[in-house]
Amino acid sequence: MMNVAGLAPTPDTGHELRAEIRRTSQNARARRVLVSRVMMTLCAVAITLAAVPLVMLIFELLQKGIPVLDTTFFLKEPQSPTLLSPNATGGVSNAIIGTLALSIYASIMAIPVGVLAGIYLAESDSKLASVLRIVSQTMAGAPSILMGLFAFSFIIQDLHIGFSALAGSFALAVLMLPVIAISTEISVRNVPQTLREAGLALGAKPHKISLKVVLPTALSGIVTGVILAISRAIGETAPVMLVIAGGYTDSWKPLDPVSALPLTIFMNAKSEWPSLRAQTWGIALVLVAFVFVLSLTARIWASRKQKVGN
Amino acid sequence: MVLLPDLLPQPEEVAEFSSATSSRSWYHYLLIAVSLLFTLVSVGFVLSILLKSLPTWAHTGTLLTSRVWQPPNGPYGGLAMIVGTLETSIIALAIAGVVGLGTSIAIVFLIPRRLRNIVATFIELLAAVPSIVYGLWGFLVLAPFMLNTVDPWLNSWPFAKEVLGTSGQEFGSSLLLAAIVLSVMILPTFVAISREVIAAVPQDLIEASLSLGATRWQMIKDVVLPTARIGLFGATFLSLARATGETVAVALVAGGVANMQFHLLYPGTSIASWIALEFGEAQGNEISALMALGILLMAISFSLSLVSRWLVNRQRKLLAKV
Repeated sequence: MMNVAGLAPTPDTGHELRAEIRRTSQNARARRVLVSRVMMTLCAVAITLAAVPLVMLIFELLQKGIPVLDTTFFLKEPQSPTLLSPNATGGVSNAIIGTLALSIYASIMAIPVGVLAGIYLAESDSKLASVLRIVSQTMAGAPSILMGLFAFSFIIQDLHIGFSALAGSFALAVLMLPVIAISTEISVRNVPQTLREAGLALGAKPHKISLKVVLPTALSGIVTGVILAISRAIGETAPVMLVIAGGYTDSWKPLDPVSALPLTIFMNAKSEWPSLRAQTWGIALVLVAFVFVLSLTARIWASRKQKVGN
Repeated sequence: MVLLPDLLPQPEEVAEFSSATSSRSWYHYLLIAVSLLFTLVSVGFVLSILLKSLPTWAHTGTLLTSRVWQPPNGPYGGLAMIVGTLETSIIALAIAGVVGLGTSIAIVFLIPRRLRNIVATFIELLAAVPSIVYGLWGFLVLAPFMLNTVDPWLNSWPFAKEVLGTSGQEFGSSLLLAAIVLSVMILPTFVAISREVIAAVPQDLIEASLSLGATRWQMIKDVVLPTARIGLFGATFLSLARATGETVAVALVAGGVANMQFHLLYPGTSIASWIALEFGEAQGNEISALMALGILLMAISFSLSLVSRWLVNRQRKLLAKV
């Protein structure tokens, strides 16, 4: 009897214990699920928060930029508004030509050096290559205003060349160099090893393999990197603002002072003339259109590369 | 992605193959010559700015601790710019980091697979938008909005005037506005990297934790974020580097006043934007002082990029082990 009496409550407690455990675990699970829902909602809020200013920016660009764009904008040199004709801003042809000239000269300087240095990085394991790799990665992250200081100190103070498109494009070339070198290195490294071995097996000389097998295969990747470097250079204000002097006339000559689209935005944004301030939206729209077209072209090149790879 | 090629999953290390360099051909020498030229340009980059700044380093103490910048005869104190740079970029990073982390998680785990590529492309395009455009938007759109709406609202809180300063600055330019514009600018950069890092967490780990009954958030908190931790720090440092080096956007919206200021509603400046604003009229010693500020900026940027590269490499090794 004692036994029975002693045993009787035992299953009972077990039952209660199990129920208790079930209840607690259900509560805990409900809490876990709730916390999870809340946190995931917060993430959704974050992505909305992130999108709002960016969508607003694009909206403002289109809304305020499009009305400003007309033939005068693209084809005429700027003029200063006066009290009698407060809307006579002229165009920004000087800045468009300046930006094109700057990026062409910078490309001429940066592309050969950047691509060849990138190939060297990919195909050599020497001391020079490892130093160069660290150098180019560090340079790629350097603030762009420093390129302007370098161009000022070297081209203008040391070489006495003067404020010019040449000085500006030198600054942009220094900016583009590491970007091109790094992306070239990656594309060359991505070329399948078997291709090189096939070339070797056919008895080709190593530099022939590099020039006739590796480079053509890596070409679309290299082009992607170059286009992205150019699109970055086009939008930069800081490196050129110290050295190109913002000329008001159309000029392709390397030694003339020129202007650039980003620089014109910077100079006119604080202008006291509402017409000049309004014009900056048009310039910004053109600039963003330039950059987007270049980036999308680069992406198309890159996806072409993937197809070839497959 | 070209922003930071070294954060991408790298192609597998190619076995030693120094074809082009082992042969002593003209091609080999051309590559070496060009690489030397590149190295020379980089050394020249550092040296030429350093040499031009030498006269100022005689007054290193003034440069680092004085808050007075007085052309044409000096003193040239950089404290206001240094403090302004730290304030704006750290606040920007705090905003962009929290919002950006949530955004990356949402992109990887909430957005339908089909939309993911579109969103990723959109973000990379935004990272390519020139900084002057963000600056223009900040100056012409956000500044009036801050001036008329946000600043007075902030000021209506108790003690706000003592902490933030009074609202109503010229144009609405303020350190707070600069920090907000910076945060919008570095957000795409941060998201582009952290999204890649988070998406690179092995699917096995995620499935293992879900199979043990973890909720989605537990899986993210206990598996994904710890695995991606170091890469996320790398993204943070790279965004910080971008924020500290930003020039024209800050020059437009911060107010451009050499004014050491902990009241965020007052105008201030940063190292990079001060160089840009002052250089046009600078003569002699002031140019040297601005070059010295450039060296400071270079030191900050190089150390940030060293730290972030170290972190990213550690992350890659960590994932290789998993």
